Amino acid sequence: MKVFVTGIGVISAVGLNARENLHSLKSLRTGIHKSAQYKVMIGEVPLNNEQLLQINDLPDEDYSRTTLLALPAAKEAWGSNKNDSRIRTGLISSTSVGGMDRTEKYYFQSQVNKTSDNYSLMIHDNGRTTEKLAEELGISGHISTISTACSSGANSIMQGARLIEGNILDRVIAGGSEPLATFDIKGFNSLNIYDNEICKPFDEKRMGLNLGEGAAFVVLENEQSISITGNKPLCILCGWSNATDAFHQTASSPDGKGAYLAMKNALAKAGISPDNINYINAHGTGTGNNDLSESMALKNIFGDALPSFSSTKGFTGHTLAAAGAIEAVYCTLSLVSQATLPNLNFSNPMSETGMMPETQFRPAKIDYVLSNSFGFGGNCTCLIFYKY
Amino acid sequence: MVKKDIDPSSVLLTPDYAEFIPAMERRRMSQVQKMSIACAMDCLHQSTIAQPDAIIVGTSMGCSINIKNFLDKILEANNGPLSPTSFIVSTHNTVAGQIALLMKNHGYNMTYTQNSLSFEQSLGDAMLCCAEGLKNVLVGGADEEEDSLYNMRERLKNDKVLLTSGASFFILSNIRRQGNAINLIDVGSFGLIKNTLETSLDFLKANNTTDLEIDMVLYAMSEKSKLNELTSFFGAERLFDYQEITGTYYTNSAFAMNYAVDILSNRPHPIFGEVKTVLVYNNLIPENLGLILLGTKNEQDEIAQ
Repeated sequence: MKVFVTGIGVISAVGLNARENLHSLKSLRTGIHKSAQYKVMIGEVPLNNEQLLQINDLPDEDYSRTTLLALPAAKEAWGSNKNDSRIRTGLISSTSVGGMDRTEKYYFQSQVNKTSDNYSLMIHDNGRTTEKLAEELGISGHISTISTACSSGANSIMQGARLIEGNILDRVIAGGSEPLATFDIKGFNSLNIYDNEICKPFDEKRMGLNLGEGAAFVVLENEQSISITGNKPLCILCGWSNATDAFHQTASSPDGKGAYLAMKNALAKAGISPDNINYINAHGTGTGNNDLSESMALKNIFGDALPSFSSTKGFTGHTLAAAGAIEAVYCTLSLVSQATLPNLNFSNPMSETGMMPETQFRPAKIDYVLSNSFGFGGNCTCLIFYKY
Repeated sequence: MVKKDIDPSSVLLTPDYAEFIPAMERRRMSQVQKMSIACAMDCLHQSTIAQPDAIIVGTSMGCSINIKNFLDKILEANNGPLSPTSFIVSTHNTVAGQIALLMKNHGYNMTYTQNSLSFEQSLGDAMLCCAEGLKNVLVGGADEEEDSLYNMRERLKNDKVLLTSGASFFILSNIRRQGNAINLIDVGSFGLIKNTLETSLDFLKANNTTDLEIDMVLYAMSEKSKLNELTSFFGAERLFDYQEITGTYYTNSAFAMNYAVDILSNRPHPIFGEVKTVLVYNNLIPENLGLILLGTKNEQDEIAQ
């Protein structure tokens, strides 16, 4: 049974919706800049919480930024979809930070002021941020949150596809949301993993990553659901797989074994061979470790016939849990636009591989797109999309 | 059954972790990691398999102790240099990831964090894996008590609830085994619903089961009115509050499943008698309902614990 992508929504440092994101990709316009607040290069959504409350038409309550970012993206994807008792529907979101943006604020205040006045204002667990989103969308029943660090968003979408193929649900809105939080900013800083300038994925002189924030969702439907909703498919999600690197908690193995297995099994799931792939949206964070490890895995899958590939994290920054979802939306845009997506800031290939990423938004015949997302814990996910 | 509250002085029973985890790794692990790895390793030793095909963990709060440690370090460091040790192991999938790392497992690895439904969603995914052809899936639920970050008592509207820790793991297999097999018939996860009892009856109906065939209901409940409704329907003699044993953490329905498997495997039970079908009714958060249906009938999926 086919799994159709019929809706997409995204908010990131390069746009508040899919159209704006596409425009930035076409114009090679990055959203990464030096943050006055955090003093590092980040990809920030240019709306503060008060502004997000307003555009979401929410009361002035204490919402986590995870929910505030998720809402516009989810609403854009959901579009004019409605609840219908004939369509078994679910919501699968993902996040690493969850309610941490509020929790850390109140925790720091309470520790410094030695009070527990702010205790009751703590916003809670990951699941609650998804429930708030479900309430606004009017969805109940299957409400789920996945949390596997930087592969989370891709895993939500994969789970949606599996539930549809397994005849458990007919329609799923799946994706992820990740705000910037001091916890993560300081955390990645402690790993010495930042580039002080805009990141350079797959470049010989790459220095590290830039963090980003954002959210993205896709609506997946089976044929039965589409026959009722009348939604027009944008593309087809035809392959998926998740595998574990099992090498180290944070670093990827030299040969990228987890990545290799995820790609190999996703291709098998799609029933295609590597030479069917026309464009790869890589994980490509710009770190020494990831880009080399991922390149090795790509080499082991594609050999000398490596298709067009790029990382779009030079536009958005690394949005952690949201990354796999934002990039799934970008893959859909690639298929609908029939163009490759550009890799920013590339000058020289890595001496170990000589691989040259795509640097242009270039019109091309794109039938199959492959998307990689890899997270802490060696969690590796690959999604494959097909032109409709 | 006469309802009792858990003894506030009760403590978490732990094994000698040295049996399961090498010393160097053990030293850096928080409670939820140690509990989960010990359970996972124990499952593997009990089974005849070398590796599970998938590892799926439900945890509502993840590595809360590591998260709190890193927040404290941020405050102490006061914009100075920070050690990454706590941060590295702060993501919710650290438990599932570390199990895979220790087992050198390259299979499917997933973590669900949907508060009181985290375990049911993990179990549902495990069943789906088996339906897709995976032969053995390691699945569990675990949480460690660290409430300074998460105001659980407010969500459960109960200031006095005893917050605890726990972990329960299983190997789900679609291979028939000899002897007294226990079947995981179905699992349900329903978020933000009002009519929980009605939903549970629809769930039973979808599984060709009537409420009369349920020999025991293991439940967790926070709202008194809903408890009255459940008791009126099933009768007090069939109900048992598993929080008497576990205390409160959002994935304690995993323990209830463990308890159900024990009761189904060792019949007749000295108190509950001949129990052939058990329903775990997880209504810990009033608007969320987790259901696990277990029995001794032969169905497609079986559990070897």
